[in-house]
Amino acid sequence: MKIIVAIKQVPDRDAQVRIDAAGKWIEESDLQFALNESDAYALEEALQLKEKHGGEVIVLSAGPERVGQTIREALAKGADRAIHIVCDDLGLRDALGVARLLAAAVKPENPDLILTGLQSEDLGQGQTGVIVAELLNLPHASLILHVEKTYTGLTVKRELEEGWFQTIELPTPAVLTIQSGGNKLRYATLMGIKRAKTKEVRRATAAELAVDAAPVAVLERVSLPQKQKSTQILPGTPKEAAAALVEKLKFEVRVL
Amino acid sequence: MSGILVVQEAGRNRISFEALAAGRVLAHFTGQPMQTAAVGDPNSTVFVEISGQSPAAAYAVQHPLLENYTSDGYVVAFEQLIRKLEPSFIVFPHTYQSRDYVPRLATRFGQVLIGDITGIEAGPTFVRQLFQGKMTGSYRHPGDGPCFLSIQAGAFRADPPQAGTFTILPFEPEIPASAIRTKPGAPFRGSAQTVDLGSAQLIVSVGRGIKEADNLPLVQDLATALGAEIAASRPICDNGWLPMERQVGSSGQTVAPKLYLAVGISGAIQHLVGMKGSQCIVAINKDPDAPIFEVADYGIVGDLFEVVPALTEAIKAARQ
Amino acid sequence: MLFSLPTLAEPQHFSLAEKLLFAAMAVASAWLFWRRFGLVLNKILKSKKDPGFHLLPIGKRVWDFFWEVLCQAKVIRERPLPGLAHAFVFWAFCAFALVTLNHCAVAFGIGFLNPAGPIGGLYYYFAAVFALFCAVGIAGLFIRRFLVRPKWLGEKLSWESGFIAFLIFALMATYLASFFVFRADPSARTLWWLHTLALLTFLPIIPYTKHLHLVLSPATVFLSRGSFAQIPPLSGDEDFGLVAGTDLTQLVSLQAYSCVECGRCTEHCPAANTGKLLNPKEIILGVRAYLNDLGPSSDQPLLGKYNQQEAVFQCTTCGACEFQCPVGIEHVPILVGLRRGAVNTGAWEDQYGSKLFLALERGSNALGLSPAERDKFIQKQQLPIFDGTQEYCLWLGCMGGYDPKGREIVAAFARVMNYLGTSYGILRKEKCTGDPVRRLGNDLVFQQLAEANLEALAQNKVKRIVSICPHCVRTIQEDWKEYGTPPEIEHHSEFLARFADKLPRAVGPGFSPDIKPTEAEGTLAPEVRPSTSPHSHGSNPESSVTGHDFSRAEKPPIGTGTLAPEGPEKIVFHDPCYLGRYRNVYDQPRTVASLAGELVEAPRHRERSFCCGAGGGLSFLGEETGERVSHVRAAELVATGAQTVATACPFCNSMFRDAFASTGATSPQLFDIAQLAARSLPPSEPR
Repeated sequence: MKIIVAIKQVPDRDAQVRIDAAGKWIEESDLQFALNESDAYALEEALQLKEKHGGEVIVLSAGPERVGQTIREALAKGADRAIHIVCDDLGLRDALGVARLLAAAVKPENPDLILTGLQSEDLGQGQTGVIVAELLNLPHASLILHVEKTYTGLTVKRELEEGWFQTIELPTPAVLTIQSGGNKLRYATLMGIKRAKTKEVRRATAAELAVDAAPVAVLERVSLPQKQKSTQILPGTPKEAAAALVEKLKFEVRVL
Repeated sequence: MSGILVVQEAGRNRISFEALAAGRVLAHFTGQPMQTAAVGDPNSTVFVEISGQSPAAAYAVQHPLLENYTSDGYVVAFEQLIRKLEPSFIVFPHTYQSRDYVPRLATRFGQVLIGDITGIEAGPTFVRQLFQGKMTGSYRHPGDGPCFLSIQAGAFRADPPQAGTFTILPFEPEIPASAIRTKPGAPFRGSAQTVDLGSAQLIVSVGRGIKEADNLPLVQDLATALGAEIAASRPICDNGWLPMERQVGSSGQTVAPKLYLAVGISGAIQHLVGMKGSQCIVAINKDPDAPIFEVADYGIVGDLFEVVPALTEAIKAARQ
Repeated sequence: MLFSLPTLAEPQHFSLAEKLLFAAMAVASAWLFWRRFGLVLNKILKSKKDPGFHLLPIGKRVWDFFWEVLCQAKVIRERPLPGLAHAFVFWAFCAFALVTLNHCAVAFGIGFLNPAGPIGGLYYYFAAVFALFCAVGIAGLFIRRFLVRPKWLGEKLSWESGFIAFLIFALMATYLASFFVFRADPSARTLWWLHTLALLTFLPIIPYTKHLHLVLSPATVFLSRGSFAQIPPLSGDEDFGLVAGTDLTQLVSLQAYSCVECGRCTEHCPAANTGKLLNPKEIILGVRAYLNDLGPSSDQPLLGKYNQQEAVFQCTTCGACEFQCPVGIEHVPILVGLRRGAVNTGAWEDQYGSKLFLALERGSNALGLSPAERDKFIQKQQLPIFDGTQEYCLWLGCMGGYDPKGREIVAAFARVMNYLGTSYGILRKEKCTGDPVRRLGNDLVFQQLAEANLEALAQNKVKRIVSICPHCVRTIQEDWKEYGTPPEIEHHSEFLARFADKLPRAVGPGFSPDIKPTEAEGTLAPEVRPSTSPHSHGSNPESSVTGHDFSRAEKPPIGTGTLAPEGPEKIVFHDPCYLGRYRNVYDQPRTVASLAGELVEAPRHRERSFCCGAGGGLSFLGEETGERVSHVRAAELVATGAQTVATACPFCNSMFRDAFASTGATSPQLFDIAQLAARSLPPSEPR
């Protein structure tokens, strides 16, 4: 099975993000980046499929030079080769624009399966994989926790809301967006990093792929959210505090 | 091209009403009329319930191939409806279902979904969270194609449904069987036979503050009232008061429920690392300086032997 | 004649047949010896060269050789009686070198030590004294092995040891007996031949048995890696630690063949003593068996048939084995090497281990928490940020930065530093030092952390570091050297001891109201906080929160300790492995603790301290099999009757906190030495 995993490098979730001078994006200098979490699960799923059924795992990522680090880490975990779409204007592109880049790079490879994470930790759009499927006219399934190869195609386990799941059968080639937590992630190893040095990373540019950057939806302004999380102590007698808590559980937390 | 189309989702009443509320905000800013649509038999009670609010007109999108949700079917159906109605805004509730097909649908129009929005401001400008809530982004849709939006659960206040008169307009899309490439199975519950704290939505967790095994039923009653799984910190499981598989923490399970209610747990690091990802943490503890209060969203400082029974009663009352 | 001293009877005039027989026997004996010893030597020499090994500085090596080999200091110190018996045998062997040489020369008429001459006579008496002690010693060791039978010598009786003991005894007996016969007496000749027979039988047995240590261990001691539990660097792109035979280095092979199977390592091992699979002696013997069967060129895995992965990952790296080993085996680098082989190649699968590695691949701390949590703590405590002007960089570590109890230690230490007027600051970009991943064998993550930290320290121009965590201290000072030059660092016990005379002594017994004793996880703090008015609960709801609620707890709650109404507070100090054995710091924390009360010692203390169970990354792994190491140690500390257990390591602190919580109601209080030092300080103004 030939599998392409589209991954994204995002600011580390523990990083302190600051708004840039123009107020349109974040300050990227001095920021730590890492592999997007659900993409890590997509990669893991791809590697496990390869270990079971053989084939090839190709990592695909768009972004500036720094993305090379994340690509190397993915190669170290066991991917066979990589395609790096080198572009410095990823922030200007919307989900459709990024999906066009990815789809253009995927097309000549003719893979059996394309995996991406469910959504990115920075923009959180959760659309790129689904749009890639539409652009390539392939069936897709989203929020996938488990993939099984069948004689005719795939059987996947999809997460629904509130503890429900569903099984979906679909033919290949197909696109799946992977939910975090379906597998146990493997850790990066020294051996993997050393082996990754010799693996192929093909570079492509947006111009070569003939995809322009003009977005449909424009991110105009980035600002700090109005309120930060803080502990709210509910005062009063046990009865009053309990009543106040029930109110919170009902209307704020929405679990009652 | 004009108008606001709100697409509702059968079986997801609250968020569907919230999408309607968002549609009204949009109508207020743009002065455009609002229509709604949902998939389903116009005579089904589900459909009636969803449409039980103004606006008066609702499209009942129906086709045998839409009985079971597939992204392919929904994309084809709504593409036809949108081409027919030519709205300038299409509002969806942000659910697992809309996330699955709306990005595809938008692509058919050369558009992109502005998803999971938490607010609509004049302009209109659409507000959504970035960087996992650390930042807020304001989006604009400058082009002339339809603008696809999905709204976050709880972001808009849904009015309670009111009985009213409305017209249901049936809409029957043409869907060739070959268009549907995926075969969905019936929904099923996650494995219930073993304790799977990892996927539990609600957890009541108990620590040494409970003092004796004989006091555990107090907390068990609370968990039952909430419909929550019961979990514990290490000393409770070490003492054999609860089985080891219910231990949350560095040597036990890592959990991330919607609600983590910590009863009599001081919050040692070994425990905190196992539950810090919870969406909402509530702590009940006698010691106002207990570290658990540093990570809690809501706290009650007091004697758990008084607070817990009061809380159980209050929850039971709220549940009725 | 009757009153003159007897002379050694040395037979003269050997016949040609005798000469030929002796020569044939000697050649056969030497050939048998070499047949095995040559093979062993070959396996050692064919092993990989040790990367980063330097013979210099030679001074320490010479001293270690003199002290540990020639003086047998370690052998005697760790097991005095059998150690002394062994030393007698060893010293006798040394004394016998000349005697034996002469013994052989005599057969060919070229003896050089004349028993009747002044030098020879004197030397024979000198050797006789040793022979006497040796005979007594070996008899004692025989009785110990076959009648007393200590359990760490193994279940199986070693008959070869018995035979060897017999041969040694025979050598000594025949030598001593020669003083009591006349030279011309045929029995002198008989004794000579018996002595020869024993000698030539003994020689070939050496390389086939653990008595190989006679030949190898002096070299092993001399060629140690240079410092305690030192983890060697990896070399080249294909070195991932000890994966297969080809990864075994000359030192590892030499050490494996040097093992004398005495079991001291196992006797002191916290894992072996709590029912786990790990047995350090068996690890070494497993490597030896691998070398015997497959040799150092094999690419068969080291873990599997010969040693088990599960056992290797049960090691707390406390170093007790290595510290005890009388023949210079360095267990920690071997155990860590085997872990490296498993982790660096991805062969080790463990959900908790993976979680730790993934947390440190991305994040900054071993607990997987957000650095924002640490910032919050720094702000709340108003700890200054390091800006290059302060004297010290106060290194928090993961426990000090994130663990609620570790934070209390940092806060207490900061109070003392403020009191002393020492300037310090916190490094904002501090990350985990990499201690747990280093010990678990993840070189990739360790390198990333070490390099990032070294860079941050250099950027901020940090010159001196002080830390409350011995694991941080060790890792920064020793392990980071592979990737750069770390700043000077000391443990807070060393800092505090230096200022001991400026710190106030405890005036009375007990508690200071503004410091809480460490309580068990999940315990409600108010119950363990001694209150000035313990019965104040009741009408005022405020006071019922802070007061001691006796209405529910009939037994004394955990962690309260018992206050001695008179006399100084009794404090037992637990030596953290990474402070004691790893750093040789024993007196300083005691100096600090003794400011707060009267010190008592646990049965195992200082060099022999028993691990808390947290080291080697194990505090981040899942549940232990068998008994918990922390419980065994906690019980030992409780049994001293001390009201207070003092530690100097936040990991020990956390382990005992849990152990006390689950072992019972009457536990002592638990304090770090910084907390002990801080509680006698005058109340400070809020800053």
